[in-house]
Amino acid sequence: MTVFLDVLLGGVFHAAILFLVAAGLQLVFGVQKIVNLACGSFYALGAYFGITAVGFAAQLGLPSILVLPVLILAGLAIGLVGLPVERVLRTIYNRDESYQLLITFGFLLMFQDVFRFFWGATPRTLDNAYLVYGTAEFLGVQVPTYNLLVIAASIAIALGLGLFLQRTRMGRIIRATAENRNMTEAMGVDSNRIFAAVFTVGCMLGTVGGALVVPASASSLDMAVELVVEAFAVVVIGGLGSMRGALAGALIVGLIRAAAIMVLPEAEILSIYVVVIAVLILRPAGLFGRAVA
Amino acid sequence: MNITRRALMRGIGVAGLAAATPGIFAPAIAQAKPVRIGILAPRSGAMGTVGECGIRAVQWAAERMNKDGGIAGRPIELVIEEETSPKDTIERFRRLVLQEKVDCVQGLISTGVSLGVAPTAEEEQALLIMWDGTTQDGVKEAMPKSNYVFRSTDNECEAVMASLLAIKYFKGKIKRIAGINPDYSYGRNNWEAFQQILRRAGVEAEVVAEQWPKVGTMDLTSHVAALKAAKPDFIFSSMLFADLPVFMKQGSAAGLFEGVNIALPAAGWQINQLKKEFMPENVVFGHNTLYFALPTASPLQKAFVDDYMGRYKEAPHWEADRAYFALAAYKAGVEAANKATGRWPKLDEIIAAIPEQKVQSLGGPGQFRKDKIAEQTFYQGLSTNKNTYDFPTLSTVDSFTADQLQKPPGVDFWDWIKTSKLPV
Repeated sequence: MTVFLDVLLGGVFHAAILFLVAAGLQLVFGVQKIVNLACGSFYALGAYFGITAVGFAAQLGLPSILVLPVLILAGLAIGLVGLPVERVLRTIYNRDESYQLLITFGFLLMFQDVFRFFWGATPRTLDNAYLVYGTAEFLGVQVPTYNLLVIAASIAIALGLGLFLQRTRMGRIIRATAENRNMTEAMGVDSNRIFAAVFTVGCMLGTVGGALVVPASASSLDMAVELVVEAFAVVVIGGLGSMRGALAGALIVGLIRAAAIMVLPEAEILSIYVVVIAVLILRPAGLFGRAVA
Repeated sequence: MNITRRALMRGIGVAGLAAATPGIFAPAIAQAKPVRIGILAPRSGAMGTVGECGIRAVQWAAERMNKDGGIAGRPIELVIEEETSPKDTIERFRRLVLQEKVDCVQGLISTGVSLGVAPTAEEEQALLIMWDGTTQDGVKEAMPKSNYVFRSTDNECEAVMASLLAIKYFKGKIKRIAGINPDYSYGRNNWEAFQQILRRAGVEAEVVAEQWPKVGTMDLTSHVAALKAAKPDFIFSSMLFADLPVFMKQGSAAGLFEGVNIALPAAGWQINQLKKEFMPENVVFGHNTLYFALPTASPLQKAFVDDYMGRYKEAPHWEADRAYFALAAYKAGVEAANKATGRWPKLDEIIAAIPEQKVQSLGGPGQFRKDKIAEQTFYQGLSTNKNTYDFPTLSTVDSFTADQLQKPPGVDFWDWIKTSKLPV
C-alpha cells in the first residue's frame, strides 16, 4: 500500500506541474487556435524568475515560509510577458497555421538566449526552499510537504480557472469567442482584447508551473524543450483545446511515467508514447477533444 | 669626456622611450613568440559549471607559468572555444589547428565528444591533451595506439575507488543494494563495476532496484519513490551533473536516506550545490583528482584553492586539476625536449617527451603512461557536515593512485576487475 501511495504521489506531483503548462496550451488553442510551442519557454521563464524572486524576497528579509506565495506571485508577474508576445502573434492570426507554429517555435529558441543572457548557461537551483515546509506523513508515507502544497495549488488553480470560464461574464465571452469569433465581434466584443487576455492567462499558467517546480528541481536551458515534448503528449491524450483533457492527460502521463519508473525504468518515455500512439489511432481527437469534420 | 649636443639628445630620447615603454626592456619572454594553446571546454548546459571551473584553472595556470618564464621562455596564450556536440566541436578543433595555428589543443570533458575529436587530431597530426575525455567505447579502449592524442584517466576509476571504500567502511552492512545512475555507458559500467567488486570482496548483496534517469532529468520524485519502495540498505549513484543535487534534495525530503548508506563516486563536480541541509553524513564522497580541503595539500594546491575561493566564492573541483595537469604536462614535455635538443623542439619530440615527465598537478603528482593515458592521484572518503562551509567535506580522506584503480595498457577492464590485486 505504501509503495502504491509513493508512486501515486510522485506521479500526481509531476501531473500537477504538467497540468498547469498543458492548461495554458489548451486555453490558447481553444480560443485563438494557435498551437503555442513557446509554452515550454514560459515554464522555464517562470522557473528562472522564481529563483530571482525568492532571492530578492530573502534580501528583503521575508521569512522563508513565504516561499510558496512568493513563487506564485513571481509566476503571475512574469506571466505578463504574454502581452507583448501576443502583440507579435497578432500579426499572423489570419495566416496559415504553419506560420503560427514557426513563430512560436522561434520564440522557444529565442527565449533560450534570453535565459542565457540574464541567468547564465549553467543550471540554477533554490538550495533549501524545498525543505522549508518539512515533510508530512500521508497514510503512512513520508512525503515532502512542498509536493502536497504544489498539488493543492494546482487543484486550486484548476478549480479557479474552471469557475472563471464557466461562471463569470468574462469567462462566457471567452468561450463564445472560442466558439465563433465573428459572432462575438458582431455583438461588440473586442476580440483583440480577449485574445491578449487569454494568451496572457495561458502564459501565466506556464510561468506559475515553472516557478512552482523550481524548489524541487532546477532551472536549465533545456527544460523548455523537454517540457514541450511532455505537454504535447498531455494535449494529444486529453484532446486539443479541452481543459478537462488537460487534467486527464496530465494525470495519465504523470501516473504512467511514475509506474514505468517503478516497474521498468528503461520504458519511462516509451510507455507515455505508446499511449499517445494508441490515442491517435483509436481516438484521434483525444479523450475529451471534439472531432473535426 | 666630450658629449656632443646630438649624443646628449639621442641619450635623452632613448631614456625617455625606455621610461615610457618599460615592456621593451622586460625579460626576453615578452618578446618571444607566444605558445598558443587551444582550449575546448563546455560553457553551457549540464556541463557548463564543470567546463567553467577548468577554464578558470587553466587561466590561473597560464598566468602563474607566464610569471615564471612561460614554457621554455615563451609566454602562454590561450585561445578558448566551446565544447558542445561532437560535430560542432570537431569543427572548432579544426579551426583552432588550421586557422588559429595553435601549438596544442587541450580540454574536452565528454567522452562522447572526445571519441569524435580524437581521430580528427590524428588525421590533422595535431597534439591533443584531454582534460577528462577518453577514447573509451564503453570500457574498451577504442584507440590503443594514438600518435597525437593524450587521454585522461579511465572513466571508471572513481567507481572502482568508491566500491572499494564501500567495502572498507560498510562491509557487513551491505545486503540490499540499489543504483540510480545516468543512462549512458558511464553510469551503466560504473554500476556493473560496483556489483562485480562487491562480489569479489565476498559481499553477496541483492540488487533491489536499478534506476536509469536520462541526464538532465530534474523531476526525480518517481525515481525516489521507486528506490524507497525497494528498501535498499546501500545506494550507489554515479550521477554527476545538476541532477545529483536534485536527487539528494528530493531523496532527503522523502526520507529515502534514513538508515541507508550511500556512495557518490562523482559528487565532487557538484560540491557547491550539495548543501548540508539535504546531505546525509558518512556518504562515500568522490572528489576524483582534487579534494579542495585536503589537509596535506601542496603549497601549489593551497595557493590555487585560496585564489579560487577568494575570487569565485565557491570551491574548485577536479576539472581544475585536470586542466592544470594538461598544461603542466605539456610544459614539462616541451621543456624536457628543449633541454635535450637545445632548441624549440619539434612536435614529435614534444610528444615523445611528455610520457616520461612526472608532473606536480594541483591535486598531487601525475604523469602520462607510454600509451598516453594519464595516471593521477584520486581522493574520496566519508563525508561530514561539521565544517564552516555550507556543503560537506571529508572526515576521512583516502587516496589511491590511478595505477591502483585503472586497467593496465591492453587489458580488458572486466578481466582486470576479476583478477587484479585490489588495494582494499
